[in-house]
Amino acid sequence: MATATEVKKRTVRINGCVASAQAAKYADVDVIAAYPIRPYTATMMALAQMVANGELDAEYIVADSEHSQLSISHGASSSGARVFTGSSGVGVQFAYELYSPISGSRMPVQMMIADRTLDPPGDFGSEHTDALSTRDMGWLMGWACDAQEAFDNHLMAYRIGEDPRVLLPQMVCQDGFFVSHITSDVELPDSGQVKEFLPPYKHPYPLDPRHPVSHGPQIMPEQGPPLQLERARAMEGAVAVIEEVHDEFAKIFGRRYDPWVEEYMTDDADVVFFLQGGHAVTARFAIKHMRDNGLKVGMVRLRTIRPYPTDRVNEVLSKFKVVGVIETNMGLGSVSSGGVLYGEVCAALYESQHKPLVLSFMAGMGGEAIVLDEFYWMAKKMTEAQKRGKIEKRTHWVGFEE
Amino acid sequence: MPAIEVERQILPILGSPNQGARFYNPDLPSSEPFVPGHRTCAGCGPSIQYRMTSKAAGDNTILVGPTGCMYVANSSYLCTPYNVPWAHTQIGSAGSFTAGVAAAYEAMIRKGKWKGAFPNIICEAGDGSASDIGLASISGALYRNHDCLIICYDNEQYANTGIQASSRTPYGGMTTFSPPGPMVPEAKTLFPKDLARMMAAGHPHCYVATASVGYPIDLMNKVRKGLNHKGAAYLMIYTPCQKGFVYETPRSIDLGRLVVECGLYPIWEWNPEKREYDYSFRPQNMRPVSEYLKLQGRFGHLHAEHIAKLQTFANQQWKMMGIELPEALIQAADAKNLVNMATASAAEAVAQTL
Ligand SMILES: Cc1ncc(C[n+]2csc(CCOP(=O)(O)OP(=O)(O)O)c2C)c(N)n1
Ligand code: SF4
Ligand SMILES: [Mg+2]
Repeated sequence: MATATEVKKRTVRINGCVASAQAAKYADVDVIAAYPIRPYTATMMALAQMVANGELDAEYIVADSEHSQLSISHGASSSGARVFTGSSGVGVQFAYELYSPISGSRMPVQMMIADRTLDPPGDFGSEHTDALSTRDMGWLMGWACDAQEAFDNHLMAYRIGEDPRVLLPQMVCQDGFFVSHITSDVELPDSGQVKEFLPPYKHPYPLDPRHPVSHGPQIMPEQGPPLQLERARAMEGAVAVIEEVHDEFAKIFGRRYDPWVEEYMTDDADVVFFLQGGHAVTARFAIKHMRDNGLKVGMVRLRTIRPYPTDRVNEVLSKFKVVGVIETNMGLGSVSSGGVLYGEVCAALYESQHKPLVLSFMAGMGGEAIVLDEFYWMAKKMTEAQKRGKIEKRTHWVGFEE
Repeated sequence: MPAIEVERQILPILGSPNQGARFYNPDLPSSEPFVPGHRTCAGCGPSIQYRMTSKAAGDNTILVGPTGCMYVANSSYLCTPYNVPWAHTQIGSAGSFTAGVAAAYEAMIRKGKWKGAFPNIICEAGDGSASDIGLASISGALYRNHDCLIICYDNEQYANTGIQASSRTPYGGMTTFSPPGPMVPEAKTLFPKDLARMMAAGHPHCYVATASVGYPIDLMNKVRKGLNHKGAAYLMIYTPCQKGFVYETPRSIDLGRLVVECGLYPIWEWNPEKREYDYSFRPQNMRPVSEYLKLQGRFGHLHAEHIAKLQTFANQQWKMMGIELPEALIQAADAKNLVNMATASAAEAVAQTL
């Protein structure tokens, strides 16, 4: 069987799931660990076909559970192989035990997530609660808003996570269905470009009989602080590498992303939506329409949530009068009694001289689409707060109020 | 780039498989992939097994250690007893982590990313890991036939958490989760899960065998057969734990013999080519179970009727191996012919030591 076939740059019409599979193929992954759950399954289906066709030489393992998927990935990455895995919804949770051991042993496993609501209701819609519930486990994490960005994020995440200054696993997220199953044009690069951008994976201390090492021995409590500090430093240290890699990516592939936030029509905006992922596409339409009607509204889309760009969020959001956080996640009994993003936004703004008013919107719950009218309604709530100079309440459940 | 063929190791089989612990075999390798100086209890059966296993495997080996005594009591940060690469994994990840290592080496060797003979990949899972929480992960690895050896070092309980009942704890075994009392005089009421047969029946393409630290050469040969078998292999090894079984430390190897001689731990091999069991292993003697039970505090509370049940169980095991029962063992399954193990107060004293 041959290793990844040489291919020329071309544009194809594919969905987010297939874009992720394409990225794994370009990265010439060695081990793939699969287990079925919608909607991310389509990625593994595409990879299975690539392996069957001989387009990709990898060990394709149909695992017995998500817990096993992540353990297989952990073992393979520890041995020096480049690994790809993924999941959705309750599958992400079934593997929960492994997230800390993988980042703790500093193995740059990559996991694709196409979000799905947890049970209940367990429907096929996209809610970010699955991945967000693991946000503090030491994984790099961020959302794409379309298939092209998903493809690009996978390649960048491998490069960042495998960098010897970082060595951390990565969750490369996209909304289930809104991104994973919507087809759009994706530019697939020349294999030479990927070779130039992504060096082969080389862990400094793999499980190699020629250089015996012990991974993960038991520690005494007094050995805990330095180990935990090291992992925290790795996460902090990732910041500079993330910026460097985004620059390098722009140079080689010609697409430039701000690693932390995308700002849309924010130049003179008074009120902005703050969100992650695929709903940004609808938000842009809504904003254009509201702008035509003279409303000074914009959007700030968070691209990387771990490491969290605290200073950047502070600097960007301090410019506005009202920030409306669109959660698309459940934070039951949390700071705002809504979602978990509100707390992250407010903490970043705490040291700001010019604090905007912050509202939390529970929208898109259960994976429901957030339609244009709901964006208009949320904008109305924000402008009302702006006029009043204070918020009416922290959290609004969109669709349940006048 | 064409795929590179993966080279496999073949380890020689040692002579005199039925000879015991005190037998010197000049063919044993001098290498010690598992060195002394760790913190397991004196006489620890699992660590005696660990030494034998890793010695049989040699230096081109990678060890995987799910949570349990062989992780916690062996490995200490900055000072571990493993002279070959070793990784801790989660207690439920025995089969899956090991599968990941095996898959990585298949791919890396085939793709020219690692050069050399395919390493021995051995997982050392406790019985709690292998029979309960990690069962599915091990079944997955066996079913998919990764080239690896999964060992269940069977100390018949969750030792590291302070002696709790697992699905391998024998009927009548006292643990902190199965204490004896007026309502449950026999302590553990369930008979153990027949794990090794489950593995053979469910994954007949795998080499599966049972062994005991009482028969070191047999044990090491089974390790080598498992490693030589191209694909997955599973070995369940009796490894007494003095802390949980409550016996005099120097008697670990004796217990390893007695448990086989009394029929409570049948020694066999599953031949994946012929698809049949090989019951040719014969201990030197056959004994009643009481000779094994009386050496251990964990059975100190048993009454005659409970011992009779265990003897009946042992007799069934002999029959399953096609071995004819001597009259004495048939008699020993009748409670009328037996006496209680000890008084209740003696049992209580033992319980205090747990
Ligand atoms: C998910 C999880 N549950 C429980 C534990 C607690 N635990 C640590 S060691 C251990 C005992 C393991 O028993 P076994 O596999 O038989 O190995 P032994 O300790 O007997 O060597 C348990 C239950 C754990 N580490 N992880
Ligand atoms: S408790 Fe048992 S298994 Fe654990 S180290 Fe001691 S003797 Fe060995
Ligand atoms: Mg045990």
